[in-house]
Amino acid sequence: MALRLRLEDVSFSYPLGGREEAPAISGVSMSIEPGDVLCLAGANGSGKSTLAQVCTGLLSPASGALYYGDRRIQGRSSLLQFRRSAGLLFQNPEDQLFADTVEKDIAFGPRNHGLRGEELARRVRDAAALVGLSLDDLASRSPFSLSGGEQRRAALAGVLALEPEVLVLDEPFIGLDYEGRTGLAEALMRYHDERGASIVIVTHDLSYAWSLATRFGLISEGRLENVMTSDELLAGDADLASLGMQLPQWGALARELMQAGIAVDDPADPSSLAGAMAKRKEADGAGD
Amino acid sequence: MGAADADVTIEVQGLSYTYPGSEVPALQGVDLLLEPGKTCALLGRNGSGKSTLARCLNGLLLPGAGRVSACGLDTAEAANALDVYRRVAMVFQNPDTQLVGSTVEEEVAFGPENLGLPQAEIRARVDEALDMVGITELSSRQPLRLSQGQKQLVAIAGAVAMKPHFLVSDESTSMLDHAARLRILELFEKLRAGGMGIVHVTHFLEEATLADSVVVLERGRVAAQGTPRQTLGDPEKVRSMGLDPLAVTVVAFELEKLGHAVSGDVLTVKELLSWLYA
Repeated sequence: MALRLRLEDVSFSYPLGGREEAPAISGVSMSIEPGDVLCLAGANGSGKSTLAQVCTGLLSPASGALYYGDRRIQGRSSLLQFRRSAGLLFQNPEDQLFADTVEKDIAFGPRNHGLRGEELARRVRDAAALVGLSLDDLASRSPFSLSGGEQRRAALAGVLALEPEVLVLDEPFIGLDYEGRTGLAEALMRYHDERGASIVIVTHDLSYAWSLATRFGLISEGRLENVMTSDELLAGDADLASLGMQLPQWGALARELMQAGIAVDDPADPSSLAGAMAKRKEADGAGD
Repeated sequence: MGAADADVTIEVQGLSYTYPGSEVPALQGVDLLLEPGKTCALLGRNGSGKSTLARCLNGLLLPGAGRVSACGLDTAEAANALDVYRRVAMVFQNPDTQLVGSTVEEEVAFGPENLGLPQAEIRARVDEALDMVGITELSSRQPLRLSQGQKQLVAIAGAVAMKPHFLVSDESTSMLDHAARLRILELFEKLRAGGMGIVHVTHFLEEATLADSVVVLERGRVAAQGTPRQTLGDPEKVRSMGLDPLAVTVVAFELEKLGHAVSGDVLTVKELLSWLYA
């Protein structure tokens, strides 16, 4: 079970050579509650990948503080300890697959953490089951013989085998087709539900994270502009276009309907949208 | 179509291709005609053969069987390689893998320099390409310091400077945010209006609705081909090809179940709303 992860006024800059620095994130304060599914959304270059690395302890804040539970993450030993609680799936993680079997690839992380024998085997089995890879494939198949979607899930299994309490994913759905995205989303939610993990999905595309996330943190130019629910996003509480993003197509439709005073029970459900439109059409017809 | 038109089209006939070491063909018997001044969106699930087809169009990959004729040039003829490369330019998903120059200007000049053009002609082409793409103000910047979207624009400017007849975009928008994607799509439209043929490989069905024609590949074969309405209007059919149907088409399908026939195939929110308020 995850603990609360809290960022307090966190900033980070990349050195540009000489004395110059490129600020990537500045003054970010937020909490990720245990079991939260948070989407951090922003345009390319908004600083969201940097934030993902700060949230998993791969980058240390230049200023501000990071807390996991009651404990402040400061100094090498607490950082190393925190890294065991947090896992990051990098963008295009299949580029980092390297072993000659799927099993060895998934086992790489936990083995590095010193696990051996039955515990290591259990971790690999559990992680493979969570992402829906068949056990028969593990020992015999090369990760490079898997499809794009399977490779992405194999890479995710490698992170899940570390059993992170806080799982951060950088653009996990990019480049995947419909089946690949659906399979990955199911794996994520299985892990979330079974382990009570907190999940942070970093993306520039709201549509894929929409059905998974309970809250959306909007990032622009290194700052966390706002944290809102999907309902608030649909209601138009944020100017997404100015943040370089857009609502998914059904969201744009739902917003238009709601703005015209047409009630929609569940905007993410096509039959609900259709029902609302049919009702309106019938009412218009009756009034003619 | 008359014989003379072959000089400005790409004709793909019975194209098959199998990667070395693979037993499964990546493309099988693909027939396709690409025309100047038109945009063709190429869709399909991962591994369906989209990128392989894109690479066959400019001779990066040569047909295993069948034939690709780019602007009248058989891509399989070694003597045609340079001319094919001039006429059919490509941009890829990740611009980082394509950028080599230390300034944007140098980057855009790279292609024309390789053609051995006179210095004045190179200068003129670079200026024109930067202007066309709308990045003149970036000309002295370092490409690798730019945003992903800007880098992709630089890669396209490099392609435009070759004055190609066709531009093949292999998922050039897939890593970009919405704002950057819109800019690229607007640019494609501008190039198309100027007479260039555009082939755009994409995962985004909303982008494909803007094209003149859509080709959907499945297991290396053409599974559907036609206008966006013909190919993307039926959500069941779209799903069967491994694609995520447009939300609007799913809603229209649900409306039909409720006894409301939405006339014609709607693809956009605007079209569905005009039906509602008609």
